[in-house]
Amino acid sequence: MIETTEPRPRTTPRVVPSPLRRLAAIRPAYWVLIALLVAIAATSPAFLEPQGYMNFLRRAAPLVILAAGQLFVIVAGGFDLSVGSLITLVVMASSLLIQGDPAQTWWVIALVYGIGLAVGLFNGLVVSWLKVPSIITTLGMLLALKGIALAWSGGSPQGYLPDNFRDFGRLTWRGLPGIDLLPLAVVVMVAAVALLWWLMHGTVLGRLLLAVGDNPRAAELAGARVRLVRTIAFVVSALSAVTAGILLGGFAGVSTNVGDGYELQAIAAIVIGGAQLLGGRGTVPGAVAGALSLSALFTLLNLIGLPKPLRDAAQGLILIVAVGWSVRRRRRGGA
Amino acid sequence: MTGAAPRFEMRGIRKAFPGVMALDGVSFACRAGEIHALCGENGAGKSTLMKVLGGVYAPDAGEILVDGAAARFAHPAAARAAGISIIHQELSLLPDRTVAENIHLGIEPVRRFRLDRAAMRAGARSLLARLSSEIDPDAPARDLTIAEQQTVEIAKALAVDARILVMDEPTAALDDVEAARLLQLVRGLKDAGVAVVYISHRMPEVFAIADTVTVLKDGRHVATRPRAETEADEVVRLMVGRPLSDYYPPRPAEPPGDPVLRVEGGGNAVLADIDLMVRRGEIVAVAGLEGSGKTALARAVVGADPFLTGRMWIGAEEERPTSIRVGIAHGLGLVPEDRKRDGLALMQSVRDNGLLARRGLAGLLARPLGHAVGADAIDGILAAVDVRAVSWEQEIRLLSGGNQQKAILARWLACDPQLLVFAEPTRGVDVAAKAAIYRLMRDFAGRGRGILVATSDLPEALGLADRILVMRAGRIVGERPGGATEEEVMALATGHRSDAVAALGAA
Amino acid sequence: MSAIAAAGRSRRRAELPVPAILIAASVTGFTVTALATGQSAQLSADGVIAVLERVVALGLVALGQTFVILARSIDLSVANLVSVGAVMASWLMQGDPAMMLPAVAAVLAISAVVGAINGLLVTRFEINPLIATLGVGLVLQGLLSASFQNFAGAVPESFQVLAYGQVGPVPYPVIGLFVLAGCAAFVLRSTRFGAHLYATGGNPDGARLAGIRTHRVTLAAHVICSLAAGLTGLYLASRLRSGAPWVGRDGIYDLESIAVVVIGGTILAGGRGGVWGTLAGVILFGALDAAFTMIGIDAFVKQVLRGGIVIAAVAAYAYRTKGHVA
Repeated sequence: MIETTEPRPRTTPRVVPSPLRRLAAIRPAYWVLIALLVAIAATSPAFLEPQGYMNFLRRAAPLVILAAGQLFVIVAGGFDLSVGSLITLVVMASSLLIQGDPAQTWWVIALVYGIGLAVGLFNGLVVSWLKVPSIITTLGMLLALKGIALAWSGGSPQGYLPDNFRDFGRLTWRGLPGIDLLPLAVVVMVAAVALLWWLMHGTVLGRLLLAVGDNPRAAELAGARVRLVRTIAFVVSALSAVTAGILLGGFAGVSTNVGDGYELQAIAAIVIGGAQLLGGRGTVPGAVAGALSLSALFTLLNLIGLPKPLRDAAQGLILIVAVGWSVRRRRRGGA
Repeated sequence: MTGAAPRFEMRGIRKAFPGVMALDGVSFACRAGEIHALCGENGAGKSTLMKVLGGVYAPDAGEILVDGAAARFAHPAAARAAGISIIHQELSLLPDRTVAENIHLGIEPVRRFRLDRAAMRAGARSLLARLSSEIDPDAPARDLTIAEQQTVEIAKALAVDARILVMDEPTAALDDVEAARLLQLVRGLKDAGVAVVYISHRMPEVFAIADTVTVLKDGRHVATRPRAETEADEVVRLMVGRPLSDYYPPRPAEPPGDPVLRVEGGGNAVLADIDLMVRRGEIVAVAGLEGSGKTALARAVVGADPFLTGRMWIGAEEERPTSIRVGIAHGLGLVPEDRKRDGLALMQSVRDNGLLARRGLAGLLARPLGHAVGADAIDGILAAVDVRAVSWEQEIRLLSGGNQQKAILARWLACDPQLLVFAEPTRGVDVAAKAAIYRLMRDFAGRGRGILVATSDLPEALGLADRILVMRAGRIVGERPGGATEEEVMALATGHRSDAVAALGAA
Repeated sequence: MSAIAAAGRSRRRAELPVPAILIAASVTGFTVTALATGQSAQLSADGVIAVLERVVALGLVALGQTFVILARSIDLSVANLVSVGAVMASWLMQGDPAMMLPAVAAVLAISAVVGAINGLLVTRFEINPLIATLGVGLVLQGLLSASFQNFAGAVPESFQVLAYGQVGPVPYPVIGLFVLAGCAAFVLRSTRFGAHLYATGGNPDGARLAGIRTHRVTLAAHVICSLAAGLTGLYLASRLRSGAPWVGRDGIYDLESIAVVVIGGTILAGGRGGVWGTLAGVILFGALDAAFTMIGIDAFVKQVLRGGIVIAAVAAYAYRTKGHVA
């Protein structure tokens, strides 16, 4: 309940903040990321070599793409809890269908994108037309997709993925001019992020997503096609999950829980990056920074030798602290 | 009511919010059995001052005394315990709970560890009876009309057996008949020794019941006068800094042109037999009591809750919009009555709000600040309608109500519509911004366009419009030219004889 | 009578009695399946009780979750707290009957503290409840998994009575579930706290203006939810005879408890709903599960169907919602 007062009129409607204020206004996510990267470099100087940081980016790529995709749904006011299971299904389905035969890779990749499209459309249609809250819809989808993956494979991983599939996650070009190492996964990540960045910040769709998340009634009365826009958000999220799954299949291998927990990690990354849950605020660079921060955190904890379970605890703490900080910042700044 | 010590006193209250000094050393007092009116533009600090009294905000400086003793309220519960009851501007009923539960919210009677529902029901019935209301205490609040909800809010405030009662725009949702009843009730409270603070923009009401009038401006105290020693014009001048005349823009001399909107036999679940016409250059108002269907008509015309029967022409083309998108595509636009709920994307910038309608219709993959979306023009339009903001990138929730409304107007002007429909255009808007919006509406009409205004502010309809359509129970029951008297319109709106209505309104 | 109100009233249908509908659906589905697959033996008291017994754990957690969702909050830490409860119970007891009471007290105390932390993060620090409880859950999971990799300790025989004791044909846990549900329903309907809880969830600003201390109410709701989770951990320890760090996650108690509460008619925005709906939702899950087993459906396919049912059950009455839903 903020009281408003008509500000005194100024001669120009533009105000340029002082450099110090601009520094303070930069999202915490970037500071957190920088701090973590510095800590990693301090712990393990090999990180500063291309071998070190390129591998880091390669391993972070799936989460980055996933977070940037789910951002669309979060900004529009919803949640997509089904992306983790979708990743599992993509990996399991791919290995089952390709059965190690490289000739099958391409049509299977097309097929899993088709599956992703269908999942996204279903989520979007159920939320927008049947009015089932997205938490419930995507939760149901999470259970269903996991079940499909398990039922199809009989409960254990079957087949294996050929090299040309796994290359997406594993292949690294060496000896390129200027850059010593360039993983294909990093190229895919950059391409995906660029595409998503354009969609969110360079098109009308992105602005309408923000408006829909902020106040769907107002957006509708202004002529926006709220239901279509929301459905597109779910499709984007699902297709991003498929892409992340293909990369993960490359280096994580096939297992029945390859995608477990990724949906919550993606949401955590987005929130750390400054987006607002329940919609209206969020950026792709922020989501990327959040995902990189989370990955950096895991890397750091790994380097320190913290056992895996405690890494989960650390993730939980960082999440709470990062969000608490954003909330305080917003209350104080009023902007 | 004597010259005794004040029932409560606020001294030197200071309250700042980020970027804004809402109250700058304001003092205010009220005696038992006194009705003290508090007036000022939006943003003058009236609501903030009362929220400090009510324990919603803690003051940065200053003190509060109740019956001479210092008091500090850290939470609304503490203020209520001290006998302070506030009817806030925002209706705060719980839609899924019954009327009785709402009235006793926070003070539920308990008998042997259980809620005493019988007592709640009886208590609600007696309170509602004091307000001459027959609302069923067991009805869920969501089934009530807005006027009934306001009545329940008042009953809720009375349930606390308050010694200090603050009413913030209590008649905003009430029609003139219900407002008159409320004023009677307030007089009754004064006779019972309650100290009443009455916040209102409506000068006729203020001068009908107040003993004292205080004006705030820009967070500072301007003047406090006994009612007998001042008059409406002076109060408005103190609030606003200009005389009350040249408030409504003059009507044009030229006659209106071709019809820009024509409806024949329009009807839906709420409306029936709607025949109306708006010509180019005209401002047509739709007046009527709460629930008569004015807002429904506004929404039907643009296609938001569309007509199901009848015919409609927009300009020369026959088109009866089945959805708001169709309406917008054919040159219509709606400025909704509740901008926070239906009009504003609060976290987005002023510019983004201004571009919303253009973007809503544009192709999804188009550039958001591109030519197709009219972005190059929006800054100019925002400046032309005089939206006051720190910058166009500022979040629109930080603007005052009047500037927010102007920004929504700019949104539609950017689409260059043929007919603009307004529902309650100046609700929650301060005096200066109201005058500005009226001017903008007249300018718009003057450019060969039409305006349809649904409003419950009768003086506004009479002062602004060229013609006034009067509605009752979903039908248009009559038409009057601009400048008609309130009695004529009220007679049509209520179906009562005009002298009966006048008798209710008089002290 | 205004035009709008009149039209509104004639248009408004009676409020759906969701709990009754869910129970009816459960009974129908169960009976039809039993008859169709020739397993009418299932229609006996034993068969019905078996169905109820399956869902005691989920039911307990969901009762607690109902309070939190009514307050317009949510709790994603329950699954991990269930694990903590189970492990702590068996580890502290170590098979020694003398340690039963202290262990129970300790588990409940830990649960209350976790609930208080959740509540504080949500109210004082204004962190979105999804994030706050998710974070707390992760911390719990991490700390637990780091300390215990397998079943820890054991529960004494006398404690197992909790899960295996019976009154006539009805097991203690089933009785306990209904008794607790009854208490919860009483609190919600007939106490001040219940009225304040509905207010806090339905209109937090309005509740505050009416003098309700909404932060305290929300905090209490979170403590209640965590206590229910801790209690479930105790029950599981009793049933499994020991506690392991994965019992909570395996049961998907977090997401499923939310699903069941929403299916039961309590809306995520708070302010409306109740425990009987939640219980009916839980029974629906149990009945369908039993029906699938009778048909002989593969465990994984059951999972797929469960997902579909969650969506369909909510869609069945959600489509009447006007306006947009996120």
